[in-house]
Amino acid sequence: MDRGELLLSRSLLLTGLGTVGAYGCGVESLRRALAAAAPGEELVEVDTAAGFHRAGGARRAFLASRLGPGALREWLAPGEARRMSPPSKLAVAAARMALRAAGREDARCGDVAAGVTVATAFGPSSYSEALLRQILFEGPEATSPFYFTESVANAPAAQIAILCRAQGPSVTLCQREAGALLAVGHAAGEVAAGRMPLALAGTVEEMSPLLHAVLDRYGALARPGVDGGEVARPFDRRRNGFLAAEGATLAVLEPEEPVRARGAVPLARVLAWGNAFDPTAPRTGWGSGAGRLARSLRRSLDRAGVAVEAIDRIVSGASGARGGDRLEAELLRAVWGDRALPPVVAPKAIVGEYGGGFLGAAVLAAGGAPCGRPPGCEEPDPALGIVLSGGAPLPPPACTLVTSLAAGGAAAWLVLGAP
Amino acid sequence: MSGFGWGVAPLWEGLCAGRCTIGPFGRFDHRMHRTHVAAEVAAAPEEIAGRPGWHRLSLADRFAVAAAVEGMRQAGLPVPLPQDVEAGVFWGSSTGGMWEAEGFFRDFVGDRRRSRVGDLASHQVNAPGDAVARLVGAGGPVQTVSSACASGALAVGAALEALRAGTVDVALAGGSDSLCQLTYAGFNALRSVSESPCRPFRAGRSGLSIGEGGALLVLEPLERVLARGAQPLAVLAGAGAACDAHHMTAPDPSGQGAAAALEAALRDAGLAPADVDFVNAHGTGTPLNDAAEWNALQRVFGTRAGMVPVTATKALLGHLLGSSGAIEAVATVLCLQHGMLHPVPSAAASAAESVEEAEPAAAVPVALVADQPLPFPAVRAAVSTSLAFGGSNAALVFARWTAASSS
Repeated sequence: MDRGELLLSRSLLLTGLGTVGAYGCGVESLRRALAAAAPGEELVEVDTAAGFHRAGGARRAFLASRLGPGALREWLAPGEARRMSPPSKLAVAAARMALRAAGREDARCGDVAAGVTVATAFGPSSYSEALLRQILFEGPEATSPFYFTESVANAPAAQIAILCRAQGPSVTLCQREAGALLAVGHAAGEVAAGRMPLALAGTVEEMSPLLHAVLDRYGALARPGVDGGEVARPFDRRRNGFLAAEGATLAVLEPEEPVRARGAVPLARVLAWGNAFDPTAPRTGWGSGAGRLARSLRRSLDRAGVAVEAIDRIVSGASGARGGDRLEAELLRAVWGDRALPPVVAPKAIVGEYGGGFLGAAVLAAGGAPCGRPPGCEEPDPALGIVLSGGAPLPPPACTLVTSLAAGGAAAWLVLGAP
Repeated sequence: MSGFGWGVAPLWEGLCAGRCTIGPFGRFDHRMHRTHVAAEVAAAPEEIAGRPGWHRLSLADRFAVAAAVEGMRQAGLPVPLPQDVEAGVFWGSSTGGMWEAEGFFRDFVGDRRRSRVGDLASHQVNAPGDAVARLVGAGGPVQTVSSACASGALAVGAALEALRAGTVDVALAGGSDSLCQLTYAGFNALRSVSESPCRPFRAGRSGLSIGEGGALLVLEPLERVLARGAQPLAVLAGAGAACDAHHMTAPDPSGQGAAAALEAALRDAGLAPADVDFVNAHGTGTPLNDAAEWNALQRVFGTRAGMVPVTATKALLGHLLGSSGAIEAVATVLCLQHGMLHPVPSAAASAAESVEEAEPAAAVPVALVADQPLPFPAVRAAVSTSLAFGGSNAALVFARWTAASSS
């Protein structure tokens, strides 16, 4: 048996999930948001007082900060929180939720050398901004060592390791919108190869006003309509950008044997993972390499022994980005060829881009949680040929493909099986 | 790419000469900063800077792209690669294009009319690795590790796993970071920066020195290298990682986490500590880091620790942060390839100190390779260690390539 076969021979289970976002704190709040499929009060006005935003540009985002300062109190003592940046707080809270859900009552990793893999697209943006203000406008002597320590991209992963006693490899990945799935795939590979008995994997993002404004100036965000509303419309002909989000989602991955031995009920089975790159993509956009990405995706499925026909649900990373959704549609159609696609859901319209809501939604959807079609997606783009599922409730899937393509060329996918 | 210049040849020449590149620098006005030395990379020579699109790249991107061009040329691989070659890029970076982002930020916050949002395009941490992938036409996995100072080594480890799992035929693994105000002021705020060039493992050492640059390894399965008639430079035998889970900035003084990473790497390589002939230490020159690292080395090598030659590339190049693990991997490969260990200068140490007085004086002294390169024609294997903020530790094991290695 070569090493590649070894990787695929060990059954991996997802045994715990923790999430916090604009939808609330905990998996049940995310589940409710997905079922309702109608972003309402979660979509809040970004603070525009600093004047970063342009006139007529996007103003709203899914902000976890709307939950208020006490929202994480159950998961993070004030004495711990005061030493953390906003993303570190979100990540530690989500990690503790995930460990508790996986049956670790003390929300610690115990004696095993657990690994931590966390993705972030932009790092702790508010602390980086504060630090730059000090250095550039007040002078280097004003630099806060605390801001510096917590401005590094791996601060959330490090805080998780310290507070959850995770002494295995600690890895932070930055690959924009592909990061969340990449992190889970990376951790899955480590657990499958036997290098760690347990892994915490997921993503965290903070959406500061400055970052939001810059994304808008790039033309990435959904523009306000005539009624002032901002709507993400995945695969819809009217799509004009995504809704940004902040939050954190962490999942616990373990090999099957110890999970079954302790009688725990897993959330999902990780059947396959992979990632690829489209070198035709410009630095901040999407390319034209759907065919090559499709070959990579098929290769991942082949290596895992998953037939395309066996996939009965797609949780698409389509976000309402014009170029991104086009490439995603071309990728899916290239993989399925003449065959009809299974039902497709696109939860980024409900939870936003970044912050892990998508990852949490994918895990819940693979376990049979309903994910409705949000308003704003009623006019599928005929050029894309993807119609989001809606209307009648779907039966629980047996095999779910989860995809996420990043601006700049990266792409990642997971295949999750029913537990 | 390092303070020695653009390319592997000046790097190896400078390393063997034991010449320190840390000194006064001109990237930004540092009069108001606490310290005034760094290891800066000079402007690229025209044959490199004349590449199409060069001016649109951040410094970190430029280091990455130049390293990729040189690495691919040395490996005898075409750029771009044919589409039937599954290539992956595994990159380490702490701050990506932060130097350029600082300029954008100053304009955007200070005078918005002067800022161009398009300038931010290559400022993301993943930009250098993506730039390499675009250059070589990589269609396989591309992932950027940003685990502070362990990023480069973790990226090389991830590449090794991808090769073993068969998900890539060729992996380009490395890292790049550029000197910027954020890291310079940040480490100074922590009082971690030395006012003079760093002195790893020396008594009286007072901190690290910031450097910049980029480095890359082209990794392929042995069968593929031999089949196309290429000559390996060294064998990447194993990788390991572990976390202190102790403190955000201070290492676990016991060295337990770093030792766990080193032991994992040796286990992965199928080697025993006795098989290791030298160590390229993380060796930042901070009092706490070097002490913890030395404890880790003693945990792993036991009574033999004081006899294993130790070199510390940072003494010459400064700390390349997210790229340090990558350039120190390159330095380790060069030492193995040439059968020669590069020295660290003792000139920077005070006259009262000597190699024998290197830390920790109370226990076994570190066997630093000082001033003169150490010929070691029979060298077999070496480890390169990386210890980062947040307690993220990584270790790489390299073995010397000989014809017998193929069996």
